[in-house]
This record gives sequence, C-alpha cells and structure tokens, in this order.
Amino acid sequence: MTHKPLLWLTTLPALLLALSVQAHEPSEHMEGDEKPNCSEMKEMDHSEMDMDDPVMQAMMKKCKHHMDKSDADSKESQHKHSESDDDAPRKSNHDH
Amino acid sequence: MAAPGFLSCTKCLVLALVFAIAAGGALIYSGLYPVGADDRHTPLTYWALETLRERSVDRASDEIEVPADLDTSDRLLAGGADYNDMCAGCHLKPGKAQSDFALGLNPQPPNLTQQHQDEEALESQARKRFWVIKHGIKASGMPAWGPNHDDERIWDMVAFLRRLPELSPEQYQILTTRGADDANHH
Repeated sequence: MTHKPLLWLTTLPALLLALSVQAHEPSEHMEGDEKPNCSEMKEMDHSEMDMDDPVMQAMMKKCKHHMDKSDADSKESQHKHSESDDDAPRKSNHDH
Repeated sequence: MAAPGFLSCTKCLVLALVFAIAAGGALIYSGLYPVGADDRHTPLTYWALETLRERSVDRASDEIEVPADLDTSDRLLAGGADYNDMCAGCHLKPGKAQSDFALGLNPQPPNLTQQHQDEEALESQARKRFWVIKHGIKASGMPAWGPNHDDERIWDMVAFLRRLPELSPEQYQILTTRGADDANHH
C-alpha cells in the first residue's frame, strides 16, 4: 500500500514521455542523413528542361555528383562481378 | 473665464492618464491576463500586433541593399539546406500543410510554401525577409539568426524563399538535402 504513490510517480512521467515521443514524426529527425532522390532527375525528359532556370541548374549540380557516383559504383560492382565470374573457374581449378 | 475651464480639462486628462496607468499596472500584476499560446488573441490585438510588426520591419529594412546575384543555383543550394534545417519546422515545406510547431505557435507562422495574394515588389520583400531572418521578431517564436549566421548565409535563405512556392516536394527534397560534400560549405 505504501508503494502505491511511488508507483504512480514513476509510471505517470514514463507514460507522458512515451506519448510525447509519439507526437512527432520520427522521419523528421532523420533528415540529416537523407540523400538527394536523384532517380526522378534521371527519368526526366532533358530536352524539356529549362537549363537557364537556377532551380534546374541547382538540381543538376546536386544530382551530378550523386549520379556520377552511382554510375561509378554500378560500373565498379559490375567489374567486380565479372572479375569474380572470371575467378570462379580458376578458383575451382586451384581447389582441384 | 476660459482659463479655469481649460485647467479643469487638463486636470481631467491627467487624472484619466493616471487611472489608465494604474489600471494597466493592476492588470499586469493581477496575473489575470491569459498568456497561454492556445488562447487566441482578440481581432483588435491581432490587428495591433500585425500593424506594429509590418510598420517596424518596413522602416528598419528600408536601407538594406539587396545583392544582385540572388537568383543563382549556388545560393539556392546553400539556402535550401539551411531552410530545411532551421525554418521548415514552422514555415512548412512543399507537400506538408501542417506541423506540430505551426499548430502550437500563436500567432501562427506564415506558410512560406504558398504564394501570397498581396505579393509585394520582390526587392522590398527580399529586404524585409533578410531583416526578419537576421533580427527575428520579439515574442513571436521567430528567432534572430544574425548572431551566428553571416549576412551571405542569410541572403542564401532569402534567395531560396523566392523560389520555394514553385517547388514540388521532389525538387525540394533534392535542393535541401545536405550531402557529405556540403558539410564543409559552412
């Protein structure tokens, strides 16, 4: 019986804290780690873009780096993949 | 005969002034005035606050010189990332109609993703926005970013605000993301 007020004192703040955490979108706190979603740019018709528009220029600048990087990454992974394919028979020969 | 009448009128005015000051002081000290942000102001108070703010910002920003290169991609990229970090919580972003901050503040912060009907000249709007970002607004929830942000960085945000109402959520996402290569920018 003597522990009852103590129980309330601990559970009530815990409950309030849990509710306050739910009130915010967790995604909003993760924006610092976000990457630009440049896939939209790749799918756009470049002939219809106004390249003199600073918004378009800014998007191109932002995405150029990421597109180049993703292209390089995909080429590298393709290269590694083909290398590992080439290595596979050699390895299997070596094992024998 | 006119002098005593004039004197009595002055006396009345002084008495009325003393009474008004005493009543104002009593209201302040009584604690009866509701200061909760969820308690709306009267239309008269809103009008008084808004007029005071507009006139004050107008006068204070009058002499500010707007840079000629405001509409550039570099400014949009720098200002976009800062807007997303510092302003979007209250002033929203494309595709978002409400936020916890915008709901809870009184007066409500303006939704800067929308083009306003009474759009003023770009130059004077830029001056005012620069001043408000740099100095903030007392007792409104708008902080002064001037103490720890230089003028160029504030102009970048002003540049981004100009184009913000036209941006789609996808464009906004690309422009405002702070990549690893931007970390050294500031």
